Amino acid sequence: MARIDCPAGPGNGDDVTKDKTENTLIKRDDESFPIEVRQERTNPLANVFDGLVRFCQARSMFMLHYCTGCGAIELPPAMTSRFDMERLGIQPMVTPRQADILLITGYVSIKTLKRIILTYEQMPAPKYVIGICSCTVNGGMYWQSYATAKMLKAYFPVDIYIAGCMPRPEAVIEGLKDLMGDIKTGRANSWKKYFQNYDYYLGNQQKLFGENWQTPTDIVAEAQHYNLMTDQTLGEHTALLEKHQQPLQALGMSLHGQKEKA
Amino acid sequence: MSKELNLWLDKLLSDIESVKVKRNSSRRIRIDVEPRALPALLELLQGRASYVHLSAISCVDWIDDDQFELVYHVWSYETNSLVSAHTRIPREPGVYLSIYDLYEPAGFFERDIHEMYGVYFEGSPDMGKFILTEWNGPPPMRKEFDSEAFVNQTFEWENYRPQWLKDLEEEGGGISIRPEDARR
Amino acid sequence: MHLLLELLLMPLVAFIVGLAMVLMLRKIAARLQRRIGPPFLQPVYDIVKLYSKETQISHGLIHEMGIVMAVGGYIAAETLLPVPGMRGLADMGGIVTLTYLLMVPSLGMALGVGQCANPNGSIGISRALTAMLAYDVPFILVVFGVAWVHGTTNLAEIIEIQQQGGVQTWGLVQMPLLALAGLMTLPAMMGKQPFEIYVAPAEIATGPMVEMGGKFMGGLFVMQCFQLYTVGVLYTTLFLGGGENWPVFLLKVFAVVAIPMSAALMFPRYRTEDMLRLMWKWPVLIALLGLVMVMT
Repeated sequence: MARIDCPAGPGNGDDVTKDKTENTLIKRDDESFPIEVRQERTNPLANVFDGLVRFCQARSMFMLHYCTGCGAIELPPAMTSRFDMERLGIQPMVTPRQADILLITGYVSIKTLKRIILTYEQMPAPKYVIGICSCTVNGGMYWQSYATAKMLKAYFPVDIYIAGCMPRPEAVIEGLKDLMGDIKTGRANSWKKYFQNYDYYLGNQQKLFGENWQTPTDIVAEAQHYNLMTDQTLGEHTALLEKHQQPLQALGMSLHGQKEKA
Repeated sequence: MSKELNLWLDKLLSDIESVKVKRNSSRRIRIDVEPRALPALLELLQGRASYVHLSAISCVDWIDDDQFELVYHVWSYETNSLVSAHTRIPREPGVYLSIYDLYEPAGFFERDIHEMYGVYFEGSPDMGKFILTEWNGPPPMRKEFDSEAFVNQTFEWENYRPQWLKDLEEEGGGISIRPEDARR
Repeated sequence: MHLLLELLLMPLVAFIVGLAMVLMLRKIAARLQRRIGPPFLQPVYDIVKLYSKETQISHGLIHEMGIVMAVGGYIAAETLLPVPGMRGLADMGGIVTLTYLLMVPSLGMALGVGQCANPNGSIGISRALTAMLAYDVPFILVVFGVAWVHGTTNLAEIIEIQQQGGVQTWGLVQMPLLALAGLMTLPAMMGKQPFEIYVAPAEIATGPMVEMGGKFMGGLFVMQCFQLYTVGVLYTTLFLGGGENWPVFLLKVFAVVAIPMSAALMFPRYRTEDMLRLMWKWPVLIALLGLVMVMT
């Protein structure tokens, strides 16, 4: 295949003529995130136990049966008779509370992104995000659209990308097997990145959704509870969140269709 | 009601002055009217000519003529034919009458056009946002809105070079048009 | 002392056999759908993974107590089910106590789910309790018929009577109509199609389990193992003569659980009121006919 001679590397070919406003996304390169080193425990039995637990986590993954965008069409073939995913232990679960894997299949419009963030925060850790299709990588076919999110990992951490448009079920299963390998070796720790760098992610979310953006899950409190706070968790954006945060009202429920405020 | 009304509807309508009729095929008729005459024409078509189904309302942005063109597509079940009524309104106030009283589905189409083009329809029950609920910018389907420039301004790009791509480049292959060049 | 050992071993045995039953269920479902199912240790992987979740969302003390009640009710029920070699508490509590204990898990889940404040959960648990009402009526009739015929409510004695007489004294042969009614309520007690309205995965997001994640879900998976085991062993005890030794016993229990599961995969699910109507019509009629036949 022919190749144009361009020097490789980030920031090539852009930046000079673009004017960035204050609404532009904040971008952090992958290298700026601290690498999670798997802690070796002093007791060798504990290491074996950890290894066994990771093995079980890799062999039994529950994916959330809600797939955004058009790439979702590739998941039923992967689940049914021809490319059976249940052999690998993967089965679909319907609520985020029970699921481990959030599959972002296809383009993510801003409207959907809001709901995906709500879903992501509801999942219990350890959780994994897989970006299927090229639209999650760099905007894909819809890169010129004002209403889609281009770089998904600016809003929450992504473990694995499966590029394609759309990737065939074999490719999806290959990607899932890569994720299984990552889990077994202990490298799939991106859920911790969300707690440790919440200020960065919240900043990007606020640039899209406004300053009063608030989710029902209190991430800062959870980070404190699970000892995952770093100096990057709090910052100017979490200060904004605290300023605008309102206590959430319980949903009024009634039998006859009229919603009453609780 | 005659089942072949569509065959001589264009002759009937062309008798009215200030209405231009063009027949595209045996079941497609295009009408151009003045904006002040359109609701009356639609009421006539609905009540007397069996065009009771509003298929869609579309909007075209003629930025060089400084006008919006609104197209009302109505369908008749009895004659199985479609009549498209075109009218042009000036771009500057961008205001028109709503035909919600004639056809109820017009509520949604007019809401859609209001979000995308900024045209306000007086008399419509609800002009609130329902598609672009997280959008705070100008109406995006207008021709003066440059989506690509907006995207280059607001979003950042990922430098995606996974291992398989590096392996390919070492062997002499690679992507022929790099995304960074396509985005200039 | 011997009793204490039995009390510890019986739930453990139930758990392991239950795991094998869950695997059998998934394999049957897979083979009927022309695919290969999960590997052999898959239920173990699922439970270990669920218990190893590191963050937990809990809705309060009552939510957690609900799960404890759900699993605890079944563990208590296992000690009342005699298996070859272990009688446990079967002499002290008979089939009536067992029937009471089998209602505790649903009530426990109702307690836990009520705390969740999720409308899907509330709808699901109200359907589950209605379903329990539906299948309990024919179940009580069947149990009453069996107790009448054998003259005792002690499960261990029922097994002995059937084993001493040979195949002719099996419940299946002596009271076939009651056995048929029992077979019809088996899928409802296992919570499988066509009576799995309370789970309804795509409709109400698994009903009562909607807010349970992590360790709660692990507890519910354990509860499912116990549920399948209890239902299978109960039916075997009442109608198939228990088991003289472990291989025969396990064969019978697995066969009893496999039959409704194979039929289940060909059905969609009934609505709650349809299930109520169905359960109160056909199994009840057949059970009443069977009662008439055994009492005269």
